[in-house]
Amino acid sequence: MSISTPPAFPCGGRPEQLADQLLNAALAGDEHSAIELVVRALDEGADPESILLDVIAPVQGKVGQEWAENRINVAQEHAATSINERVITALGVHPAVGTSITRGRITVACVDGEWHALPARLLSEVLKLRGWRIDYLGAQLPTPHLIAHLHTTGADVVALSSSIATRLPTTHAAISACQAIGVPVLVGGAAFGPAGRYAKLLGADAWAPDARAAADQLARSPLSRPQLDHQPIDDLPHLADQEYTLVTRNSDSLVRTVFAALEDALPFMNEYSDLQRERTAEDLASIIEFLATALYLDDEDLFTGFITWTAQVLTARGVPAQSLRPTLHLLALELKDFPRATRILRAATRTVTTRHSSEAGKPA
Amino acid sequence: MDHTRARTIAEPDADFPWGAAPYPVLVVDVDGALVRRNDAAAVLLPQAAPGAPLVDVAPAWLAAAHRTVHLPGPYGAPDADPGLSGVIGGRRFEAHPSVRDDGTVAWWLVDDTDHQLVRDALHKERKRTAFLAKASSALLSTLNLGRCMDVTAQMAAECLADAALAIAPSRGRRLPVVTCLRGGMPELSHRSVDPDDVPGLGEALRGFPPVPARWIDPSTAPQWLVPEGFGPVGSIVITPLPGHGVPAGALVLLRRAKTDSFSDEEEVFARLFAARAGAAMSAARLYAEQTAITEVLMRELLPPTLHQVSGVDFAGRYRPSADHERIGGDFYDVHPATEGEASLVALGDVCGKGLEAAVLTGKIRSTLHALLPLADDHQRMLSLLNTALLNSHHARFATLVLASAVLRGNEVDLKLTSAGHPTPLIIRGDGTVEEADTRGTLVGAIREVSARTAAVTLAPGECCVLYTDGITEAKGGPMGDVLFGDERLKRALSACAGMTAEGIVEHVQMLAAQWLGNRRHDDMAVVVIAAPRTHHLSAVNGHTRGRFTG
Amino acid sequence: MTTPPPDHLRLTRVDTGDRVRIELDGDLDHDTADLLVNEATAQLSARPGLGHLHLHCGGLGMIDSMGLSALLMISRRTTAAGVRLHLEDRPANLDRILRLTGTFDHLTAPSPTGAAGDSAYEEEATVFRPTRPDAGT
Repeated sequence: MSISTPPAFPCGGRPEQLADQLLNAALAGDEHSAIELVVRALDEGADPESILLDVIAPVQGKVGQEWAENRINVAQEHAATSINERVITALGVHPAVGTSITRGRITVACVDGEWHALPARLLSEVLKLRGWRIDYLGAQLPTPHLIAHLHTTGADVVALSSSIATRLPTTHAAISACQAIGVPVLVGGAAFGPAGRYAKLLGADAWAPDARAAADQLARSPLSRPQLDHQPIDDLPHLADQEYTLVTRNSDSLVRTVFAALEDALPFMNEYSDLQRERTAEDLASIIEFLATALYLDDEDLFTGFITWTAQVLTARGVPAQSLRPTLHLLALELKDFPRATRILRAATRTVTTRHSSEAGKPA
Repeated sequence: MDHTRARTIAEPDADFPWGAAPYPVLVVDVDGALVRRNDAAAVLLPQAAPGAPLVDVAPAWLAAAHRTVHLPGPYGAPDADPGLSGVIGGRRFEAHPSVRDDGTVAWWLVDDTDHQLVRDALHKERKRTAFLAKASSALLSTLNLGRCMDVTAQMAAECLADAALAIAPSRGRRLPVVTCLRGGMPELSHRSVDPDDVPGLGEALRGFPPVPARWIDPSTAPQWLVPEGFGPVGSIVITPLPGHGVPAGALVLLRRAKTDSFSDEEEVFARLFAARAGAAMSAARLYAEQTAITEVLMRELLPPTLHQVSGVDFAGRYRPSADHERIGGDFYDVHPATEGEASLVALGDVCGKGLEAAVLTGKIRSTLHALLPLADDHQRMLSLLNTALLNSHHARFATLVLASAVLRGNEVDLKLTSAGHPTPLIIRGDGTVEEADTRGTLVGAIREVSARTAAVTLAPGECCVLYTDGITEAKGGPMGDVLFGDERLKRALSACAGMTAEGIVEHVQMLAAQWLGNRRHDDMAVVVIAAPRTHHLSAVNGHTRGRFTG
Repeated sequence: MTTPPPDHLRLTRVDTGDRVRIELDGDLDHDTADLLVNEATAQLSARPGLGHLHLHCGGLGMIDSMGLSALLMISRRTTAAGVRLHLEDRPANLDRILRLTGTFDHLTAPSPTGAAGDSAYEEEATVFRPTRPDAGT
């Protein structure tokens, strides 16, 4: 078993250098070179865990960043990601990476609707290196499959990965379902917010900021079996007001109503192509989805954070971000009977207003 | 309470009106000397003559209580702890002090013995009920046999014995045994032992003939039955775990020599626990058996994992209509080529959903497999498949696409034939998306079928996408009621130029899933056939390379 | 996920001489396909002298593979019974699925001579037409 004391890179190399080379190969779609880089590093005695976490993980982070900043297209992002996947596979079968099972059994999966499997994959590989027996179930796993799997295998722990905040309600259902059959849940991923605040809110047994921390935590102390008398509603008593349910259930008609009202309010929308109209409707749908998530968690920061980010993206896309204010206003009109939604929308409106005025004051 | 109900002999006394009171009363002065007692007290404590120090004639707990009560001034505690109680002459009394004007304290002693017995019994019963409730919810929460055995052994060791073993009927030669010491963690082992060597164990594991819980002489117990480091065994009881008409196993409880052996009441209680544990273990066993059967039957119906075959890249992904199912009415297969020949890909959709549809896909897949020698004649294959599927009782048809793919140089030659299926789409290197020129009749419903085959050549990095209408007919989008549709699919594919087969398959499934949200949908299958990018061409994307190497 | 109520296809029957017209109003899919097949079958068994079965599709909403399967089944039974099937007032989505699956010609221009040369269907005809009292309404 390897000891995780980076940097374990021989020949004077540093993980950063290897990461740069790997990133180039991945973005160029050069699978052959990418695999060769990693195999050579392993041949020379580099620590496999360090390659996973100090080379491949940051490379994947950069790929995501390149995509988010519109420097590479979706095809390149996919190509780079699948090359990273193959590099991980190559690492797993390298003779220097001996794994023997010395610990319990862990199921690693992404929640339903989560397509970014790489973080979960990396965690699986790291845990394997640390001697756990791993069942890696991959991306987009419906909760019923996860539960059936747990009944069959009797895993000691489930590690769930989620990067998208709007999947948090689904994640909560998955966490509760695992716990209800007596399996503790460790969660990780960007969805859980700064310092994993939502992990705690949703009753996860543990949260880790990254794969190394997760592996360390599991090595330090085993997660105890969850309490069986736990009711998911106890985590989120505010759900009793039904605002989440009603907003979610009516989201299609909310999109339609607000879209129609926006067309009246913003004359420039008449010039929109069908594609632009669909984009706008999609933006609207995702605003409502984030609002619903904020209602689920009763956390207005989640929504204001999303609105701030949307404003930036719209500006970057060359779409006038001032359409956000009327959107929020129209939504608030539709949801005027929902006190929590109203409060959250008001906070977001303030954020947009502040942002707008502070930007107006700045010379571009 | 006879001895507290003393007869009244003394005359009523203004200063001591309780002479004839039914409860024993003692009046004690500041110095702890007994001043007076009533008749009932005289019966209870015959030595307690007036003038005697309380500490000599009454139990220590009462004397101690008196010292705390009569403390004068701020330390006084006239309303002393109401919980003062203790044993006198084998019975339990509550002592209630009342401080009198002259500083003496009158102690009323109330016999509480029966109350206490009832309270103890109630407490014990509550504890047992709570234990059984806890055991039930822990056992019911899981359908995993190993976990059920862990819970059984651990809870039994916690409440019923110093150690417990949960033993399941064995499937092979070795007996699965979970051992747990009180306060310890359950441990699984497999024992190559004959259960019939332990009296009652063989029967319990077979579930026949019915046996009661059975005591065995600890000295005759085989070594494996006693956990390591347990010490001398006082008693061992073997309780059958009753299942749902099937034997669930046995529970072995061990107590150390210094622990009390089992009372009748405890045995009854152990049986109640065993009934719950047995039910849970047999449910878990049935679930495991059903799962294993389903798994085996389903293996043939699950879509295969695709990969590169003879230099051609294949990738496929399937999403059944119901999230709790893994199979449905869509199917695909890749039949690898023999040397120099084309590989045959089939992707299709039978009408209907769920298991019934899946069974029909199985039939189609095996028929196609049997027809492989004819793989280069798609029309013939389809016609034979049609005949094989025709059935006068229903018109459950299938639509499918056959694709023969072979690598020539670094290009892939494709023959594509659609039998009433959505047309395959070709993604060219520049992002152009073309429809393959093939049409044909569905199979399995009409006697005469015909089809037209298209020939397509894929340059390196180009690919062909086969899909089922679950993708294009996914209804959703931001407004919730729009079909994903052919045009949206083509637009999405046009952005996929140059992507790997795997990447495209995943991307298409992701877009469709996002379009759907949580709405209901049909089965969705996608297969991509791609001509691999050659190495020197793989870096041709100058835009990317320039950025990072330039 | 809810199962839509089974009555989201409404069938209206109009009888004239040797013709029966069934008007479809709603979706023809997994949940409603049997409804149409049963109705058509009942008409075929109940009227030995029937010459034409008209399915009026103007009010047809969505149609899926089970819906198409129902039409194929009805076509098979009308052919066997020597009854001519007419799919009338077809909406674009019906024509689309018929063309895509290569069943357009089969379903819109069935042989007027009925079951000639089709032994499988003939066999079914004997089983099916005169001896199915249970299929009547």
